Amino acid sequence: MKMIGLLLFFVLTLMVSGPVPAQTADVERARAILRKIDDLWRSTSSTARLKMVVNTRHYTRTLVLDSWSKGNDKSLVRIVAPLKEKGTASLKNGSSLYTYLPKTDRIIRLTSGMMMGSWMGSHFTNDDLVKESRLSDDYNPLITFEGLRDGKEVIDFTLIPKPNAPVVWGKIVTTVRSQDFLPLVSLYYDEDMALARTLYFTDIREMGGRKLPLVLRMVPADKKDEYTELTYETINFGMRLDDSFFSLLQLQRL
Amino acid sequence: MQILRLAFNTLLRARHRTWVTIFAMAFAGAIMIFYACLLQGWLSAMERNGVDMEMGEIQIHAPGYRDDPDLYTALPDADAMVRRASTAGFVAAARLRGSGLAAADENSAGVSINGIDPGREKRVTRLYGHVDTGDWLSKKDDKGVVIGYRLARILNVRPGDELVLIGQAADGSMANDLFRVRGVLKSVSQGLDRGGLFMTADAFRDFFVFPKGAHEIVLKRTNRSVTLQEAVNRLQTLFPGLDVQNWRQLQPTLSRLLDLSNVSLVILLMITYAAVGILTLNAMLMGVFERIPEFGVMKALGFSGGRLFALICIETLMQVSIGAALALITGLPISLYFAGHPIDFSMFIRESSTIAGIAFEPLWYCDVTPGSVLMPVLLLYCAALTAIIYPAIKAAMIRPVQAIRHR
Repeated sequence: MKMIGLLLFFVLTLMVSGPVPAQTADVERARAILRKIDDLWRSTSSTARLKMVVNTRHYTRTLVLDSWSKGNDKSLVRIVAPLKEKGTASLKNGSSLYTYLPKTDRIIRLTSGMMMGSWMGSHFTNDDLVKESRLSDDYNPLITFEGLRDGKEVIDFTLIPKPNAPVVWGKIVTTVRSQDFLPLVSLYYDEDMALARTLYFTDIREMGGRKLPLVLRMVPADKKDEYTELTYETINFGMRLDDSFFSLLQLQRL
Repeated sequence: MQILRLAFNTLLRARHRTWVTIFAMAFAGAIMIFYACLLQGWLSAMERNGVDMEMGEIQIHAPGYRDDPDLYTALPDADAMVRRASTAGFVAAARLRGSGLAAADENSAGVSINGIDPGREKRVTRLYGHVDTGDWLSKKDDKGVVIGYRLARILNVRPGDELVLIGQAADGSMANDLFRVRGVLKSVSQGLDRGGLFMTADAFRDFFVFPKGAHEIVLKRTNRSVTLQEAVNRLQTLFPGLDVQNWRQLQPTLSRLLDLSNVSLVILLMITYAAVGILTLNAMLMGVFERIPEFGVMKALGFSGGRLFALICIETLMQVSIGAALALITGLPISLYFAGHPIDFSMFIRESSTIAGIAFEPLWYCDVTPGSVLMPVLLLYCAALTAIIYPAIKAAMIRPVQAIRHR
């Protein structure tokens, strides 16, 4: 009888003060940091001019892009140069992605089957454009490392897809600086847990009143000599943008 | 000469028996001819649809292309290769292949884009004749594309409708242009039905900024007596270092399937032949056994065994010849008719479809070949002669007294 009482006491203690609440706090903290990263290049609204360099075995090309975003789910990206593709634009509204092609003067809605296709000929996918803001929705973050690495205080997050989440990655490991939670590198693993691509965040500087990495470089794991590099030339936050700006009509307007 | 006249007289005397035998053989022969032509038609349709439709007999690719079809893994001297293959006993056509996205209104789908030379392609494959609605590609219409029927359904387009194509050009830029659906194909193969799109080679080069080279060369032997393997070997020495494969290597499952149906159809044919042969055999046997008492009398009158044997053989040959002639007169026109007017069983299968990757049309054509006509005739002779050997020998050996009492 005494034994059973003791056992019961242990079990109850474990249930009350066990590791579960601690983990929840951890997840909450991870989620908070993740949300901060998600909002890094956004605010209530943002506009930016970017340079995109796509380097493959067969060609190297440089594009200049203008981008606008509002909240988490609206963004518009338009090619400014080169001339041949000027005016080509992508509109994200919620989970829909549209592409406008000035040469044909047509708007195409990308269906789910094309989400893994290349976005504007780069190493980014259409999926990146649509899903980027929803990392914290579709994945459960876990802090898997915290401490000194290569002379820097860093935190590693491992993002595991939620059950039934419509995602393509097996997991994502993101490393951030401990001091200001700015991202350094993200490793994307496929469903077989093999590294598929790496996204490097470099050139951390202040721009538009914020400190943020200005260069994003995507390197596919199977072609180490190829990459796509996005460089922020200007970025501004907090201007007024109407919802109507992110419409199909606007997409067509040059 | 005497025997001939005797044989003739015997046949005329027993007119009923003679005609019954002849008609039995004629009927059997005609059925066999028709059936053989039908099966031949089935077989050739299978092979034609499986091989000649789109695949061609032999294909050449750059090394590695088959494992990883890449816009850049091309054959740079494709035109020169086509010319060289032409002088080496082949008809050849170069194809360009890329992938992209086709969109029409709200619908879009991934497509595999084929750039072909309509004139050259026509000499190697038969896709041009497999258009369901609209027209096949034309050199004069660079903006007209032909698509698979399922793709047409996914995109909800018809000939004349507009189609936007997007892809990634060889220089990295976004390839995009407006095209018009010129034709929709009948069912060819699953992949092609769902995502096949054909345009002219010039349109492809323009779209993908791909000025030179091709991804695939399809070839056909001009001389069918050269075996496939010999042809492959010849091409391999002509183009060292490239992937040369015949259709059996390209589509091993299809190859096995065709072989299997070949065998099973031959077995089917044999069973029918056997059944029809027994019919003939029966008629002949009855004819000879019925007359054993008659043979006894002939022998008693001094007719030798050898002459009796010859008489029976000649009688049989005469009957078979008339029967065979009748079989040809009736069987051949029927077969020829169905060669031009296929049997339509579309009430069982709604539309053109694919079975195990082979295009399959609900129209069954007869294929009249020398083999499918002469084999049944030959078999008729064989069946009749085998049938009478035993009774004829028996008649030749028989002792007159026993024969006369035979019943």
